[in-house]
Amino acid sequence: MSTHTIRVCCGTGCIANGSRGVAAALREAAARAGAPAVSVETQVKATGCHGFCAKGPVVAVDPDGISYYQVKESDAEEIVASLGGAPVERLLFRREDGTFARGEADNPFYEGQVKIALRNVGKIDPLSLGDYRARGGYEALEKALAMAPEDIIAEVEKSGLRGRGGAGFPTGTKWRSCAACEETQRYVVCNGDEGDPGAFMDGYIMEGDPHSVIEGLAICALAVGAEEGFFYIRDEYLVALDHMARALADAEAAGILGDSVLGSGRRLRFEIVRGGGAFVCGESTALMASIEGRVGEPRAKYIRSVQKGLWDKPTVLNNVETLATVPVILKEGYEAVQELGVGRSRGTKTFAMVGKVKNGGLVEVPMGTTIRQLVFGNGGGIAGGRPFKSIQTGGPSGGCLPESLLDLPVDYESLDANGTMVGSGGMIVMDDRNCMVDVAKYYVGFLAQESCGKCTPCREGLRHMHAILTGICEGKGTEADIERLEELGFTLKEASLCALGKTAANPVLSTLRYFKEEYLSHIQDGFCPAGVCRALVVFGIDAEKCKACGLCAGSCPASCISGEGKQPYEIDAARCTACGNCRKACHFEAIHPEKRMAV
Amino acid sequence: MRSITITINGIECACRAGDFVKEVALAHGIAIPSLCHHSALPGQACCRLCIVEAGKPGKGKSVVTSCVFPAEAGLEVETDTEKIRRLRTNILELLLDRAPLGGGALAGFASEYGVTDPYTPEHPDEKCILCGLCVKACEKLGNSAISTMMRGIEKKVGTARDLPAEDCIGCAACAKVCPTGKIACTEAGGVRTIWEQEFALLPCPVCGKPHITGREYDWLKARFGADGDAGGTPFDAFDPRICPECRRRTSSAHAGTLPASP
Ligand SMILES: Cc1cc2nc3c(=O)[nH]c(=O)nc-3n(C[C@H](O)[C@H](O)[C@H](O)COP(=O)(O)O)c2cc1C
Ligand code: SF4
Ligand code: SF4
Ligand code: FES
Repeated sequence: MSTHTIRVCCGTGCIANGSRGVAAALREAAARAGAPAVSVETQVKATGCHGFCAKGPVVAVDPDGISYYQVKESDAEEIVASLGGAPVERLLFRREDGTFARGEADNPFYEGQVKIALRNVGKIDPLSLGDYRARGGYEALEKALAMAPEDIIAEVEKSGLRGRGGAGFPTGTKWRSCAACEETQRYVVCNGDEGDPGAFMDGYIMEGDPHSVIEGLAICALAVGAEEGFFYIRDEYLVALDHMARALADAEAAGILGDSVLGSGRRLRFEIVRGGGAFVCGESTALMASIEGRVGEPRAKYIRSVQKGLWDKPTVLNNVETLATVPVILKEGYEAVQELGVGRSRGTKTFAMVGKVKNGGLVEVPMGTTIRQLVFGNGGGIAGGRPFKSIQTGGPSGGCLPESLLDLPVDYESLDANGTMVGSGGMIVMDDRNCMVDVAKYYVGFLAQESCGKCTPCREGLRHMHAILTGICEGKGTEADIERLEELGFTLKEASLCALGKTAANPVLSTLRYFKEEYLSHIQDGFCPAGVCRALVVFGIDAEKCKACGLCAGSCPASCISGEGKQPYEIDAARCTACGNCRKACHFEAIHPEKRMAV
Repeated sequence: MRSITITINGIECACRAGDFVKEVALAHGIAIPSLCHHSALPGQACCRLCIVEAGKPGKGKSVVTSCVFPAEAGLEVETDTEKIRRLRTNILELLLDRAPLGGGALAGFASEYGVTDPYTPEHPDEKCILCGLCVKACEKLGNSAISTMMRGIEKKVGTARDLPAEDCIGCAACAKVCPTGKIACTEAGGVRTIWEQEFALLPCPVCGKPHITGREYDWLKARFGADGDAGGTPFDAFDPRICPECRRRTSSAHAGTLPASP
């Protein structure tokens, strides 16, 4: 009698696609098939994210190594019936060449991925302490309890692990400075604020493997000599908040946390704090102010929080992914992280890849993997086969890289040197229909909204940058604007109080560096080549390419496209609002942007 | 605190470790422009005008804000490099655009740096640069009648819902620390008007000139009077209704609780 485990992804993305209903349907189908005549046992587990969000809900069958995508409730019966036999082909992932991938092993999305931080996400029931322990969970904590704090720190230092929350500060060094403080009342904090639009890896780790983060923070506390800790979690992350709270309660009930950690007599108390709801609250000093109940505004960091953090006591703050990696270092040895990566960037990093990429989702790859591998290997290339134009990395204050840098390895130093950053690991892929001036405007607008408004360069500088970029997109730009943007960028970078302001000019400076012609098209020619800035564009139909299918006319909200019979269609430029619907509707690349003539 | 030496613009300056560079400079006759710093209300670091270049010998220098940068033995500081002047000019342009009618210290630095507003101000009548000193002063006195509201580019300073604040005692500490003359405070016929509230002033018992508001007097008494929460001194040592001029003539020591004007 063979045993099968059906794993249904219940990450936020898949839940939105109806995975809870699918899980219920599978449970029912399995129960029905459980009649004596059927010789299979099934188990449906609600797991965290499988990473392949674009194709959710994702369902996996163990031990067969089968993965199904876009599964519907009505597929449940067929899946259960197929157990032990041939997989349900139509639900498998279809590769570029039309063949089917049976599971993760032969699916290009997973190629080159190494799961350290995500080792359990999607594999276990996040609410089951038993599942976590069955995969070696809390063994690292047990080991740490038997070690001197100095040895824990040395192990983390040797691993080369650096902060995954943005700044890339060496984790071991941070712990060492805190442990060396005279003051013995110390705190540890986990940063689960994740305010970057488009980033979701920390949320998925907390949802899909909460105990790994708890274990990481517990080890950190032992290393630096803290008894109290906080998980600062973004307020909108309802599932993550719930899973973390339940995991904490389970760990306490099991004696893993509390007055005697695993019977050692050591005390550890962790608490959850709900985030202040602003992007800037993820910044270390603002976050601590927020935990203390003060306004979430950053302060100057000349006196570092490892010396004077929460309530002026030595405090270590680490990111979710950083902490989720820590148990692996202790359990398997520093080499597990150290042997992967390039240069001073060791181990793996998770990236949330979204935008115009075919197969977006959560990937974890060794540091130093090239952008090309990520976008064209794991991501399967650009959606609709369009040309790659740029990739924005590092969250809203990251930069945009051009096609010529596709072979750039993704690591802290390489991205930094090229005007962007690893940041939290957000990646947005853009094609030829993205206007880089518009992209810069979008991010600067976001950051201007999210600036805490405390310091002059960030508050006023971003407001001006946004106004200048808006002017350029509306055809009111001048060449002096470019100089002004560069000067404002310099001022923000050098004179802002916190890293939000210091990095906020990246979207502008990087697009000026790699896509200056596009700015000049807007300014000198009054034209947006990508066809995005509506004040500068109308759409036109290429008579040679038009097949007179009429799809464009049907999509035009201004009803300004006309055509008859086999004749090429035409757009009345005077009435075109440049919404771009027709271009999206056309299957033959017959519609292109043209310069809008002044009336 | 340990005694150390740091170098500012080539001048050796003795100070204690941890003293803020801006204060050390001032004590040695080197003025660094600033708009959000007040020695009684330190730690804001938001106007960014007090930036200097600082670093340890051989390590290169970086731009830091001198009002909160702690002195460390051997630190080398340059307060007036080309880079710093360029950044200050840019910052002043931004401040002047935000508060075109800002007077006082703001106007002074703008003219010193030859800055005019290169942009188009959104609020041509504005005077506030959001330095936060008024809020800090009020908070330090324990009233918090005014606060910063909203965030980012919408940020502003005022009373809750822009209504006259119940907690306001009319002490005008905010108006005294404001570097741009934003906070209107007028006195006529024994009445002070501030934050759209009128406060009756009490006459100085010596010369009879109106001096402190009745609300402030009551507040001080409740706090520092014989039965006050903070004990009998220094309230008993002097009568706060006595105006500064008369006090100078009549009493010697004034252990004031209010921050002095900048
Ligand atoms: C504006 C801003 C937002 C930030 N948001 C986050 C966040 O959401 N999560 C995070 O882990 N770090 C965030 N950071 C970075 C933190 O300040 C800090 O460097 C990090 O949490 C330290 O942990 P690590 O060393 O493990 O990366 C942010 C930084 C800035 C300047
Ligand atoms: S840089 Fe921006 S977010 Fe940071 S303190 Fe200044 S205003 Fe606030
Ligand atoms: S009113 Fe004056 S003191 Fe208050 S924040 Fe504005 S400029 Fe500063
Ligand atoms: S005086 Fe230092 S930043 Fe304003």
